[in-house]
Amino acid sequence: MSLLDLSRWQFAITVLFHMTFPAITVGLSIFLSVVYGLYWRTGRAVYLQMFRFWRRVFAVGFAIGVVAGAVITFEMGLNWGVYGARTGPIIGPIIGMEVVTAFFVEAGFIGVLLYGDGRVRKGTMFMSTVMVSVGTVLSSTWIIAANSWMQTPAGFKVVHGRFEPTDWMRVIFNPSFVWRWPHMLAAVLISASFFVAGISAWYLVKGRAKGFARRSMSIALGIAALLMPVQLYLGDNVAGHELPYQLSKLEAIEGNWNNGDTGFVLFSIPDQQAARNIAELDIPCLGSYIAKDLTCKTAMPGLKLTPAADRPDMAATFWGFRIMFLAAVLMFGTTFAATVLRLRNRLWTARRFHRFVLWTTPVGILAILGGWVTAEAGRQPWIVFGQLRTSDAVSRLAPGEVLFSVVGFSALYLIMLVAYVAYIVRTMRIGPERDDPGQEPPPEDLPDTGLAEEGVPLEPVPPEPVPLVPVPLGSREVAAR
Amino acid sequence: MTTTLWSATVLVCLLMYVVLDGYDLGIGVATLFERDPAHRRHLLESVAVGWDGNETWLILLGVALWAGFPLAFGTILPHAYLPMIVMLFSLIVRGVSVEMASQAPPAPRWTTAFGVASLLASFAQGFALGTLTSAVRLRGDVYTGSAFGAFSWFCVLSGLTVTAAYTALGYAYTKHKSAGRLRNSAARRGAVATAVAGVLLVAVLVAVGSTAAPLNLGTPGRAVAFAVLLLFAAGGGGTALVGFAWRRTSRAADTLPLGGLVVATVSVFLALGVARYPVLLPPDLTLGSAAGPHSTMVFILVGIGLNMPLVLAYNVFAHRAFAGKFTTGAEGHEAPTTQGPLAAGARP
Repeated sequence: MSLLDLSRWQFAITVLFHMTFPAITVGLSIFLSVVYGLYWRTGRAVYLQMFRFWRRVFAVGFAIGVVAGAVITFEMGLNWGVYGARTGPIIGPIIGMEVVTAFFVEAGFIGVLLYGDGRVRKGTMFMSTVMVSVGTVLSSTWIIAANSWMQTPAGFKVVHGRFEPTDWMRVIFNPSFVWRWPHMLAAVLISASFFVAGISAWYLVKGRAKGFARRSMSIALGIAALLMPVQLYLGDNVAGHELPYQLSKLEAIEGNWNNGDTGFVLFSIPDQQAARNIAELDIPCLGSYIAKDLTCKTAMPGLKLTPAADRPDMAATFWGFRIMFLAAVLMFGTTFAATVLRLRNRLWTARRFHRFVLWTTPVGILAILGGWVTAEAGRQPWIVFGQLRTSDAVSRLAPGEVLFSVVGFSALYLIMLVAYVAYIVRTMRIGPERDDPGQEPPPEDLPDTGLAEEGVPLEPVPPEPVPLVPVPLGSREVAAR
Repeated sequence: MTTTLWSATVLVCLLMYVVLDGYDLGIGVATLFERDPAHRRHLLESVAVGWDGNETWLILLGVALWAGFPLAFGTILPHAYLPMIVMLFSLIVRGVSVEMASQAPPAPRWTTAFGVASLLASFAQGFALGTLTSAVRLRGDVYTGSAFGAFSWFCVLSGLTVTAAYTALGYAYTKHKSAGRLRNSAARRGAVATAVAGVLLVAVLVAVGSTAAPLNLGTPGRAVAFAVLLLFAAGGGGTALVGFAWRRTSRAADTLPLGGLVVATVSVFLALGVARYPVLLPPDLTLGSAAGPHSTMVFILVGIGLNMPLVLAYNVFAHRAFAGKFTTGAEGHEAPTTQGPLAAGARP
């Protein structure tokens, strides 16, 4: 494996791991704002219970997203130093705007969101929660602006190999940004909705905390039902507006090497070297229908139109897109079914549907990861499309150095992922009952007051396995009551 | 002009980061010296409310360098690849273990992970800073150094110094924010850490002369500024020692160590900056040669520069929201009242 491959694998691993968490927390922060707003307006305890429970899911995910995001920023110089030096005048300022308008806003208000409950006025609490979600949305905005510029660069000139901005409006509002931004925003809202709906469905299946679970699932599936049709429209427009600039990506997505196929390739094992598909399953005419031609005459362009040196890897691009597309179809079907059940007043009695929704918990996240694989793999072999090749942008490090970091990140991220999933499972098992403000905390949930008092001998804390320990509330939170 | 202004901005980010995450990482190191689980927990919780904001300064530092001095960003990071990677590993473990331990207490293993990661991150940062004294090899705008080419025993010295200084800052912050036995032990250990950091710093200042980037004190202006700043640093360090030794409970006794150490840290970095200006990496990567184009400088000075006061305001808000002595357990944090800074600050 070459230095370039190692650095690309490292980027793929770190960026996909990172993206998993914003896919949960951006939407969840907005969900928290909505729920706290409802509590503030109505004063109903169930909304406070929802806020407290979902905040637990949010808190750790947010922290992992922050630290894993910092890694990406530094990788732009560590592993992609030439890219960093040449695109810095354009990408640097955009990420800089993200840091000052989003990261610091989040950091400033997250403390109140996490630990201010019960200590500050409800208005302040609500305001802080809204500020955190504003931060997460702004963050996505700048990131999409930067990445879109790499897809469809505009408003720049190249001086001695370096990209210099000539028109900042065109740099930021580049051709693909305009559609990719709402597409991404809808995506994170939908993925968080499915995440919330899935976890809520588990309580319905178990017959626990019904009031909490119904209300959570109702809001989540309601948002998803509103957004799914919008998202299909936006996704179609992303393709329509970005791909004229990136025909090679479109060709790789479609999965054909030669021109003339009017069908839709559903399954394929492409052989990049031989420029053919080893195996393929094709639905006749569907490709033409998707291109809005019902006469079955519009053929999909093949990747052979692009010179071999400029072709993206078809397998990654094709399958990234298929995962996103199939997940979208599944989510659309789910929200459709949920809406029908709701209208027929059967949403809370349809046990099999609850079980099904439980299984769809990660589908939105998978769709987002698939979408990013399509966007990034489909842009290859360019790092800035048509302008700078990925192979020219990589830092000339010793392969051993990068091997060390790839192995380290992989191991570390695997542990973090397991720890996060274990944490979520444990949080689910303990359940939202402890967050019900109408109930006294059960005895094992009492705060460990000994911590506060100096000189009071403490019971030794037994060593415990990480992290599957059923443990009570954070002491800070209990203190807040 | 724009280059100078942006250099100042980068410097502000560096100083903010070193001071803020310095105390934060130092508290992490301090947990390793603490036997009492309640105290360890207390230390960890005092970091939980602020680490995110403190670490954001590191990202801003990196990005400010990237935007304004792209060649420096693309060169320094590969130059210091391994220590930077170790730092990132440590920061990941740290961030996650803080939240895990504070969302689902007690979590002794996460607390230990937090301490070890803090120690590693501090040392790796100091080590990476040390590599700034080794010569870099560039071909055009492409870094061409080897894996260990930037490493020297000076990097180890630098790593130890930074770790000791962060630890001292951590103890100063702990003395400021705690009471009782923890306050007393923080004062004792803080004094030791301060003294160790001072001795190591003297060693650094002597040793830096034999690196590829010796101090440049050629002009009287530089020499005077350097000397004055070092005097400030010595004064700050001395004040901190006095403050640590001051056992009686008073506002001054709790503030002096932190204040003195902040002054000392800032002065040392400024002094080193004066003696290096405008070299970023020896032999010839300078602020001027690494600077971005005018159109970028204007954008960042307006866009990011104008946001800086707001950023500082968020930082003040976040720190004042949890002002006062920090307690865990039944009493909770010092509860900010609705008339307090928290209520006011939430309506910008």
